[in-house]
Amino acid sequence: MRELVAYLVSGIALGSSFALIGSGFVVVHRVTRVVNFAQGSLAVVGGMVSATLLDGVLPHGLGELAAVLICGGLGLVVGLLAIGRRGTPPLISLIVTLGVSMLISAAIIWLWGQDPVSPPGLAGSTAVLGATVETQRLLVVGATLLAFVALTLFFTRSYVGKALTASASNPFAARMVGIDVRRMGLLAFALAGMLGGLAGVLVAPTNAVSFYSDLPLALSGFAAAVFGGLTSPLRTLLGGLGLGIAGQLTAGYLNGSYQTEVALALMLVIMIARSSTFVHEEAK
Amino acid sequence: MERLRRPSTYLTALACVAAGLAPLVMNDLTFLMRMVMAAIVVTGLSLLMGYAGQASLGQGAFVAAGALTVALGTTRLDLPPLVALLAAPVVAGVFAALVGLPLLRLQGHYLAFGTLALLLMVQAAMSTFDFLGGAFGISGIPPFGIGDSIFVGQLPYVYLALGCLAVVLMLTHRLVHSRFGRGVQAFAGSETAAESAGVPVMRSKVVIFSLSAMYAGLAGALSTFFTPYVSADSFPAVESFTYVIMAVVGGLGTVWGGVVGAVLVSVLLQVLNTVSSQPGLPPTAGPIMQYATYGALLVLALLFMPRGIVPTVDGGFDRLARRRVEARAGVSST
Repeated sequence: MRELVAYLVSGIALGSSFALIGSGFVVVHRVTRVVNFAQGSLAVVGGMVSATLLDGVLPHGLGELAAVLICGGLGLVVGLLAIGRRGTPPLISLIVTLGVSMLISAAIIWLWGQDPVSPPGLAGSTAVLGATVETQRLLVVGATLLAFVALTLFFTRSYVGKALTASASNPFAARMVGIDVRRMGLLAFALAGMLGGLAGVLVAPTNAVSFYSDLPLALSGFAAAVFGGLTSPLRTLLGGLGLGIAGQLTAGYLNGSYQTEVALALMLVIMIARSSTFVHEEAK
Repeated sequence: MERLRRPSTYLTALACVAAGLAPLVMNDLTFLMRMVMAAIVVTGLSLLMGYAGQASLGQGAFVAAGALTVALGTTRLDLPPLVALLAAPVVAGVFAALVGLPLLRLQGHYLAFGTLALLLMVQAAMSTFDFLGGAFGISGIPPFGIGDSIFVGQLPYVYLALGCLAVVLMLTHRLVHSRFGRGVQAFAGSETAAESAGVPVMRSKVVIFSLSAMYAGLAGALSTFFTPYVSADSFPAVESFTYVIMAVVGGLGTVWGGVVGAVLVSVLLQVLNTVSSQPGLPPTAGPIMQYATYGALLVLALLFMPRGIVPTVDGGFDRLARRRVEARAGVSST
């Protein structure tokens, strides 16, 4: 029983980081129908920048904030390349973001080298329901929940958020009422950059990141976003948590090396099982 | 007379002569072999991206399926090499159809991520399960041969691969200009219009996806006979991304785009490799230059030449020819 609780708690902690990266995919896809492949690279940059800034340049808090903002700017650049040209089809935009993520990889190797980097985070560990968890992981869970609440409020309550939702659900009608759909798309990319950066800043203290981590990060985030049909933040959160718990349970009760297979297989199964629903949703 | 003036007839003949002579004059046959195999894979990927409108970021999964068929077939089941070579595309094609049937029904980018997930799962399975190679990989694959004649040295393999490439290109050409191909071109333009004209859109997409996987499986089989060792590290994700880059640079949905893209990108990478291994450069220069070139190629090609080299050049020739005809007509009328 205590084992089970420990796996559940660490699964939730892991799943929160999946959900946070997944939220970046959701924000961009909701507004622009583009899948931003560079989402994983943005998280890596977030971790790297915060490691450099916290190394004597800025105090805790400010360093992390600056890293998140820098990633937001980088996200905007990705957006300019991906959707800056009018009439770029989503498939081409996806491949452009694949190219940008490779450029970011080159920059990361140039600036930080090939070795994994890990910024300082909260030290020590805390006991939760009898299971011991690193305090930093609890911070990830808290920050993720906060980010999702903020995101939901932003999309449903604020004027800009409503304009973003409008551009997503009907670009033509949104343009009719004077919403600049392209600018909204760029805003979504910047927001996704910040979310990716936040994920990197939070995850990197416990799991060091290198230029090589962009692909696993992007895939786990995408897997979480698939649960939400790439449009729903709430279901992305649930999907991320489910994936994290399933992964930890597999690692605990079966074999640690099956963890990747299980997460990826779950993602494929969900995509396949929900294919009819997705088609229905997109037809609307 | 007008038919002969089109450059493609000359170019095809020229390409055949160059391909026939290249193995005899080049020292680095490994480089040539890798290039030809990439061309086979990319020809299929270019069809998929050009016509089905979806990309596969994990075409390496099907290369791996072909390679595993040969490796397991020859070492565990004692299949004759020729049977293993022919079985490889079939296995890869069936594998793709099973995955493609549900994923291709989705709009958007599910196929791209689905195939990437598939590739990573294949990698993970290959390094976890011992019967798929495990930590040590599969070695002891016999050389290719038919009956008692067995291939010796690298040269026969290069010609075998070139022969396979020729078959793949002819098949692709026939396909694009067949009734099926016209249907596929129609739904690449508008799915709804094609569907109402009676084109079975969904089935055609699965066929194209399966076919692209068969090409990949064939390339995997060839590479396994050429380098008789297969492990999880033989199919890195970056290689699958390289196929996408080659397809985009060459031109999507064209018969020759895959070959042109594969040759250009391979040569460029070879040059960069030579430059980055010069003394005096830091050891990170290689990966930095590789990633930067990949990224820059993709972004620049897509933003400034979104149709790829082959259609752009082809269109240029057409315009030139038309202008010449118009000029002559103008002279004779006055």
